[in-house]
Amino acid sequence: MARQNFLREFFIRSLTIQLLCRTFLEGGVFKYKAINVIELISSYSKTAVAVFSILLLSTTAVSANECDTSAQGLTSVDCGATPSATFDQNGRLWLTYVQDQHVYVSHSDDFGESYSPSVVVNKIPEDAEHNGENRPKIIVDADSNIFVSWTKKTSPRFTGEIRFSRSTDGGDTFETPRTINDDELFTGHRFESLFLTESGHMYVTWVDKRDLEANIELGKDYAGAAVYYAVSSDQGQTFSQNYRVANNSCECCRIAIAPRGPENIAILWRQIFGVTTRDHAIAVLTPDGKTMEMGRASYDDWQIDACPHHGPSMVQSGKSGDYHMSWFTNGDLHQGIYYARYSFEKASPEDVYQVDGSAGAGHPYLAEYDQTLYLVWKAFDGQQSQISLIKSIDDGKSWSVSEILRSTSQGSDHPLIVNKDDGLFLSWHSDEHGYVFEKFAGRALGLSYVE
Amino acid sequence: MLNSSLFQRTKCLDFCVASLLVLFSVAAQADNFKAFTADSFQEIKSSYEGEEFLLGLWSVDCPPCLVELEFMGKLLELNPNLPYVLVSTDPIEQREYSQEFLEDFGLTEMESWMFADSFVEKLRFSIDANWYGELPRSYFFDNEHEMKSHSGIISRELLSDWFSSSLKFQ
Repeated sequence: MARQNFLREFFIRSLTIQLLCRTFLEGGVFKYKAINVIELISSYSKTAVAVFSILLLSTTAVSANECDTSAQGLTSVDCGATPSATFDQNGRLWLTYVQDQHVYVSHSDDFGESYSPSVVVNKIPEDAEHNGENRPKIIVDADSNIFVSWTKKTSPRFTGEIRFSRSTDGGDTFETPRTINDDELFTGHRFESLFLTESGHMYVTWVDKRDLEANIELGKDYAGAAVYYAVSSDQGQTFSQNYRVANNSCECCRIAIAPRGPENIAILWRQIFGVTTRDHAIAVLTPDGKTMEMGRASYDDWQIDACPHHGPSMVQSGKSGDYHMSWFTNGDLHQGIYYARYSFEKASPEDVYQVDGSAGAGHPYLAEYDQTLYLVWKAFDGQQSQISLIKSIDDGKSWSVSEILRSTSQGSDHPLIVNKDDGLFLSWHSDEHGYVFEKFAGRALGLSYVE
Repeated sequence: MLNSSLFQRTKCLDFCVASLLVLFSVAAQADNFKAFTADSFQEIKSSYEGEEFLLGLWSVDCPPCLVELEFMGKLLELNPNLPYVLVSTDPIEQREYSQEFLEDFGLTEMESWMFADSFVEKLRFSIDANWYGELPRSYFFDNEHEMKSHSGIISRELLSDWFSSSLKFQ
């Protein structure tokens, strides 16, 4: 796919150069002139035609492992990248993904066996970030409004904008995307997360570099970035001003969100403590811009002046109301994937547990169903990447032995879990299998039931 | 006259196409990047057999890498023969972005590789099973290719400690 893009770009560039060249020779004036591609090619020598033919053939060659556009159409989640998924209240699966500078939304009424044609969210192409830590997010509310957020890369220099769009007609069309960061600065606004509370407040959180810029202007040092957020109280029609949560966050990790009461949220993020220690902080945010109960959530002592590209995962316990957390670290105290449960009342992590200390393990994701806690992550054994699962039936005090849900010997995305009222689904994209959406816990679902 | 003009124009077009083909090849090799696959690390090590060298892993998506590249660019001005190999963990299809960075820091002449397989876990593993992907990441190999590693921005102290010959610093 990437090779195709490169060759396609190369081909278009070659045409542009020749077009300019020809205009110059014929008219003596160096200006752009619209010209039909076929006409252009036919006017050239046989050599040029041969060169173009080779290039064209190269661009249409599809390797066996790539998505099949003839079967699935030009856009599909199998051919796209970094999908996120959610169920609406009627049990319809909605997903969003990125393909060729567009964010798309599609739905499925048979749990991912088949998907509707994809609807484009951003009609004008833009560089929507799509890597493990950066993916579009999707939420559907009780009135069937569909909300989508993503990060638009605005240059290779870590700059970006937090983008948002919604559909109020059941996913037929999407509104023109809006930028949520309100500083109008050409700087870093990235790693956004989206969350809708029971009260209907929609939070967008992200990593923001406006304070770094301000400090540079003043000639002062500033470590990392900051965490900011905005809230919509009217189903995404408008958003509040941007509120700062904390200075000196890590600049390259996703933020985890879980509810804290009907309208507040708890967020967990990688924070710089002291000069270079990149452990985790936790705080509660309110719809009117207040940050409360900020605390330190992990003590790993990872002293590093680098980008881990490893954000945490967090869900609220249905049993205790505390917060299940999982994260990656390579600190002096802990190394690997860890679990702990955080209590705001005690303001400390408890039952700290090493999930996987082996090299290559990372990107944990938590979910709870029927009073059982599930944790999936990706590991690598030297040959294959494996999606592993462990469970806890006592609120994270003890854990089952791990089992492997899926594996691949090709490139793959981070694993995610999607909740439904009757179980949990693995959401995982890989080069080998395309998009995998399958139930791994809960009540039976035909043949795909695994428990 | 007309025929002559047409002939000249055709010649010009042919010249244009020929120039273009040259331009193609120049454009295709406008940077130094080589495709880093699962065998590349061994290839790099073999090419430095019996010699010490520094391997620097970086990405355009890593702000601290920028600080390191700037530092290394200045260091190489003062120590042009420093054996330094750059490996970008960004996909090689994004070579233009990466090239912009190297241009800014005067590092375009260095031996440079970019990840050329979406199975990045395998590429990382081929370098070091104990590297989790954090960036920047540096590896130093002495004359006998004993390896030392560091996560985070490389420091003057570390380089002085690693290299057997003394380095010039600003």
